Amino acid sequence: MSGFFDAALVESIVRALIPVLFAALGALLCDRAGVFNIALEGQLLIGCFGAVAGSYFTGSAVVGVIAAVLAASVFSLILSYGSVTRKAEPIVLGVAMNILAVGITSFLIDAVFHVRGVFQDPAIAGLHHFAIPGLVRIPWIGPALFNLTILGYLGLLLVPATSIVLFRTPLGMRLRGVGERPLAAETLGVSPASYQYGAVTASGVLCGLAGAQLALGNVVQFAENMSAGRGWIAVVAVMLAKDKPYATLGAALLFGSTEAIGFRLQGEGLAVQITDAAPYVVTLIALLFAARSFRRQRAAATVA
Amino acid sequence: MMSSSSSTREGKLAGLTGATGRRVSQWLAGPVPTSVLIALVIGAGFMLVAGANPITGYHSMLVGSLGSGQGLSTTIQRSIPLVGMALCVAVAFRAGVLNLGAEGQMVLGGLAGAVVALNLPGPGLLVCAVACLAGIAAGALWGALSAALQAWPGVPLLITSLLLNYPARYFVSWMIRFPLKDPASSSVATESYRPEVQIPLLAPKGSAIGDWLAQNLGSDNPLTVIGKGVGWSLVVVIVLVALVSFINRRTVFGLESGINGLNEGFSRYSGVRVNWMTTRTMLLSGGIAGLVGVMLTIGAPTSRLIDGSLIDTNYAWTGLLVALLALYRPAGVVVAGVFFGAIVAGSGQMGRDLSMSPQIAAVVQGIVIVLIAFQVHPPRRRRRAGPPAEADNSAAAVPTNQAEGA
Repeated sequence: MSGFFDAALVESIVRALIPVLFAALGALLCDRAGVFNIALEGQLLIGCFGAVAGSYFTGSAVVGVIAAVLAASVFSLILSYGSVTRKAEPIVLGVAMNILAVGITSFLIDAVFHVRGVFQDPAIAGLHHFAIPGLVRIPWIGPALFNLTILGYLGLLLVPATSIVLFRTPLGMRLRGVGERPLAAETLGVSPASYQYGAVTASGVLCGLAGAQLALGNVVQFAENMSAGRGWIAVVAVMLAKDKPYATLGAALLFGSTEAIGFRLQGEGLAVQITDAAPYVVTLIALLFAARSFRRQRAAATVA
Repeated sequence: MMSSSSSTREGKLAGLTGATGRRVSQWLAGPVPTSVLIALVIGAGFMLVAGANPITGYHSMLVGSLGSGQGLSTTIQRSIPLVGMALCVAVAFRAGVLNLGAEGQMVLGGLAGAVVALNLPGPGLLVCAVACLAGIAAGALWGALSAALQAWPGVPLLITSLLLNYPARYFVSWMIRFPLKDPASSSVATESYRPEVQIPLLAPKGSAIGDWLAQNLGSDNPLTVIGKGVGWSLVVVIVLVALVSFINRRTVFGLESGINGLNEGFSRYSGVRVNWMTTRTMLLSGGIAGLVGVMLTIGAPTSRLIDGSLIDTNYAWTGLLVALLALYRPAGVVVAGVFFGAIVAGSGQMGRDLSMSPQIAAVVQGIVIVLIAFQVHPPRRRRRAGPPAEADNSAAAVPTNQAEGA
């Protein structure tokens, strides 16, 4: 077991947490605006597909990222139009969108690329890693934090950015107001609908980035259902973090660590099924410990 | 339920009289047929992307689902688990209990059934019954775990039930891969059960009824084909539908859970012990899921549990869509379940005929549910005076006790 906790492990933790972090920040914005978004899993998967398709057809990873963002945010319009304009139940929409996303991507991978299961091709351009000179030489955290893709840096910077926008700007205050007291916000001339559309679209953009990082950064391929529950983990991460950006980073870190350590333990001979289940079990246990305080917070959803 | 004056008018417009006629024409003017129609048109768009002719595609889908004996048989085979899983979700959602863990409850039920079928000696029928009971118990307990975690320490059931899918799924996969793996087989699967412990087919080839059907009606007759393709699980599911319908309409529990789904505050105020009600709902819901798992595991012609076979078919999540489409009513679950079963069966046929992904089924099904949630209506001839009908529709589409302004 010597050399088990090494720099490479820290690196793979960071790699595992970034897609979840993006999606969780999207969930956070939706939650703050009063839209319960459980469609992240589907948005993420659509983002992955958009990224691979864009990159494959143009040979440019940047176009791939743009395509991922466009695809996921257009897809997220189903949720915003449905829940805001048509007053539909977001849980119904979310469940349907997740199944729809699996259907659309699995259908298109066959229709467009003529493969089933996994699409891998040298023509798909992956995202480059940019090492920051000097900082990358710091032992342990250097290679993990300062040799990321452009999306990796963006994801980490978005945590303080979200915090500042949410708690230090009028925009953020109005967004929180829309979520907490929609009628009061409306009385003050803030349109809840436009803020909710904005938040859901932002979650689409963020899930697009998450998908691009997953399909062009962590690996360079598209696989059916490759989001593999990360969207759900993001929902739980935000619940665990009680809608706070830095705590969301912490929750994503918990997930990333479990995934990375589990992956490492596979190398030590642990069954893949056990390590695959670990992130969900760990998240569940964390939720149980956190439950005391959010029983008060979500009195309506749980037992009074 | 809908405003009576306008419905009378619509009934006459359609040339139908009587209560049934009114309800039919009302339904036709409602969101469901419109949503299905639009979803099929969008599905045609996807077929064009795949380079297929939508008319050929839908023809192939029709033949593969309802237009042939084999198609009918496949449709019924697919509908049985769909109706079962939809019932599982419907009893929960109707009570305002958002059980997203049907998949985990189903696979654990299937595993329990397989373990019993593989290991318990004795007469086939008895083993089969014990396997079903074991599956029901496994699913019910896994479901009740979520209810318990909501009661204490208070994690929303929606999240725990969902997260518990993953350990269940991986545990079953691990069991099949290691302790139960048939060393003689190259595929990752358990050993085969004794044929007599399987849930038998209705009229298999070689049985008295099967041969009688084949001789008198011909071997291509739909009844003969269905008899040798569909098992007694069909009867189990029909009984299940009747049972759930009875529970909903005729028992105190059914009344309490229905009220709880409409308004949790009211049910609490009128003395319903919500935690206990939730637990019983999850026992029922999980038990149904477990039973479906057993039927998928030991129902003929399935003779062993193969890794991934319960997950890949996605019955749990499609069943959830069926329950949403059916507005949680048992009779509606049957209609919607057969409809979605037909889409699954037909898409499989279409996929083979046109070498296209059968995932077109998930596309069409997902779009149908999204559009129904949108409350899409055909254009109206005249505006209604008030919104009562629409309010009624959208209230029915809400699965939760969360209030919604229509």
